[in-house]
Amino acid sequence: MKGLALLLLMLCSLACAEDVLYLYNWNNYISEQTAARFEAWCRCKLKQDYYSDNEEMLAKLEAGATGYDLLVPTGNAVETLIRKKELRPIDPKQLPHFGNLHPAYRDAWYDSGNRYSVPYAYTVTLLGYNATRLKELGLPTDTWALIFEPAYLKKLKGKVTVLNSQRELMAAALLYLGHPAQDTDPLHWQAARDLILRAKPYWAAFSNSTYIKDLAIGNIWVAHGYSNDMFRAREDAKAAHRPFSVEFRIPKEGAVLAVDNFVIHKASRRPDLAHRFIDFMLSGENAADVSNLIGAGNPNQAALPHIRPEVAGETAIFPNAADRQRLSMLRDLEPAQRRLMSRIWTEIKVR
Amino acid sequence: MRAFSFWPKGFLQCFLKGDRLTRWLVTLPPSLFLVIFFLLPSLIMVAASFREPGEFGGLAPLAERGLTLEAYRFLAEDIIYLWILAKSFLVAGLTTLFCLLLAFPVALLIARSPKRQRDFLVLLVILPFASNFLIRIYAWIMILGPMNLLYSPVAVILGMVYVHLPFMVLPLYTNLEKHDPALLEAAQDLGAGAWTRFWRITFPLSLPGVFSGAALVFIPVLGMFAVPELLGGTGDILIGNLIKEQFLDNRDWPLGASLSLGLTAAVLGVAALSAVLTRRRTGKLGAGT
Repeated sequence: MKGLALLLLMLCSLACAEDVLYLYNWNNYISEQTAARFEAWCRCKLKQDYYSDNEEMLAKLEAGATGYDLLVPTGNAVETLIRKKELRPIDPKQLPHFGNLHPAYRDAWYDSGNRYSVPYAYTVTLLGYNATRLKELGLPTDTWALIFEPAYLKKLKGKVTVLNSQRELMAAALLYLGHPAQDTDPLHWQAARDLILRAKPYWAAFSNSTYIKDLAIGNIWVAHGYSNDMFRAREDAKAAHRPFSVEFRIPKEGAVLAVDNFVIHKASRRPDLAHRFIDFMLSGENAADVSNLIGAGNPNQAALPHIRPEVAGETAIFPNAADRQRLSMLRDLEPAQRRLMSRIWTEIKVR
Repeated sequence: MRAFSFWPKGFLQCFLKGDRLTRWLVTLPPSLFLVIFFLLPSLIMVAASFREPGEFGGLAPLAERGLTLEAYRFLAEDIIYLWILAKSFLVAGLTTLFCLLLAFPVALLIARSPKRQRDFLVLLVILPFASNFLIRIYAWIMILGPMNLLYSPVAVILGMVYVHLPFMVLPLYTNLEKHDPALLEAAQDLGAGAWTRFWRITFPLSLPGVFSGAALVFIPVLGMFAVPELLGGTGDILIGNLIKEQFLDNRDWPLGASLSLGLTAAVLGVAALSAVLTRRRTGKLGAGT
């Protein structure tokens, strides 16, 4: 009897369920207005859960989390998810707006033919700086040497922060040494470690988030960080009428590009809604919102006319074709490589 | 059995006089809680520390890769991991010491205030918990930045002391409040000065409070990673940061598990030591009561 009642209840909850799309997303990555517009358009509910790190999202899925229709992983995490067979192929027929995407951001190395992923937004890891101070000091702003060369750092002691991320910081050091960002040669890693250790005494801190505020209020003059964060620091400094301006540039030696993509989880219960959502976000007007909201780069060509000129005109947010040649995406490491990288990172932290 | 003396008399009698059912009923829930939320996770950690890391996080399949001592060998190979553990103990020790020095006068003041004001003063001590811990740390960033103290070991200790101070004040206050004022009056009558009264009566009697406060501060500080991450400079990594990195950034659960077990072993050692010390002290002092 009890079992029958339970069965009925379950059947009802399936049949009576309203249309809900579950999105596992980065913090503050879709504006409230966009979400509300989508809900009105599809007559369904959009429920979001948030993460602040790809590894956090992967760890949660690895631990068995289900119930998400859509995820927004960065390229290397897309590759991991594809290899884990966690994703559901995308049906191109259901995405009439796919053509809006800039060709440069289609067919990425992690998913050729975009069988599983649709790019949404991107950031570049670069250098943000207090333009007024650096001009006074006569320092260059377009090179990683600014955070690695003691000759420059002498004038910046205690005024520099770098990302608290082993992959990002090592990538910057490798690029400065003339190696590719995703280099895995242990000898090159050691050279990068030595470069970092030589520069470390001049740095104030490893920081993943506090540098936005520090740059904006003038505590810090140079920060290694993400383009959208630098944009926010610049806006904050401007809004507070600081006696200096914050700027950011892609270093000439190259930088790391991170492209975030919509993917559909294999356990998605509403792939139909997921496709509708992706296509909705591909239309230029909706795609533009993320750039206007947080200053993220946008792979959607049709979005450009809808993006505020101070965002769209910033070459560090929207790199041109020549800049794009110098950008590269990170690839995930093998377990043994990860352990070695972690040892190097611990050494960097302790010494 | 001293610990149970606050139970009603009849119940205590039942408990002590062989009513096995009552005894079971009373001890089962907390034991079960400890088994489920401490023992089992610890055993899972022990098991995980002998496995290999999975390619996508988690653990590699047992059937394919089997068990290995690799994580421990990796940790033993390099002295830096031991050095970080030692440094974490130093930071935890300093934090505990400063908390004690700051908390004692506060607790004493509250305990010696008129009864009606005490609850209010205790409320003031707890009040910071009303706002989120991270927000309070961010506030310190704004305070320390212009003072050129931000991103230094000093900032880390300051943040740690600030966060954990109430955990030292409260047990100290609970202890000090129970002291019999007649003891101090008697000492004064016998000619003891203020310092002697404190040093020979109040402080020795307060030691159980000191030890429980110290444990409440020392142990959480050992595992804390948020404060060094937000306030620390380029060299201020503690064992908590290292463990967090293995699980959240590096997909290396076995290494994180073995590091974490090392920390658990060290913490249990400290807890055992403080339990022994407390028992010796209270045994000596409690003889007369």
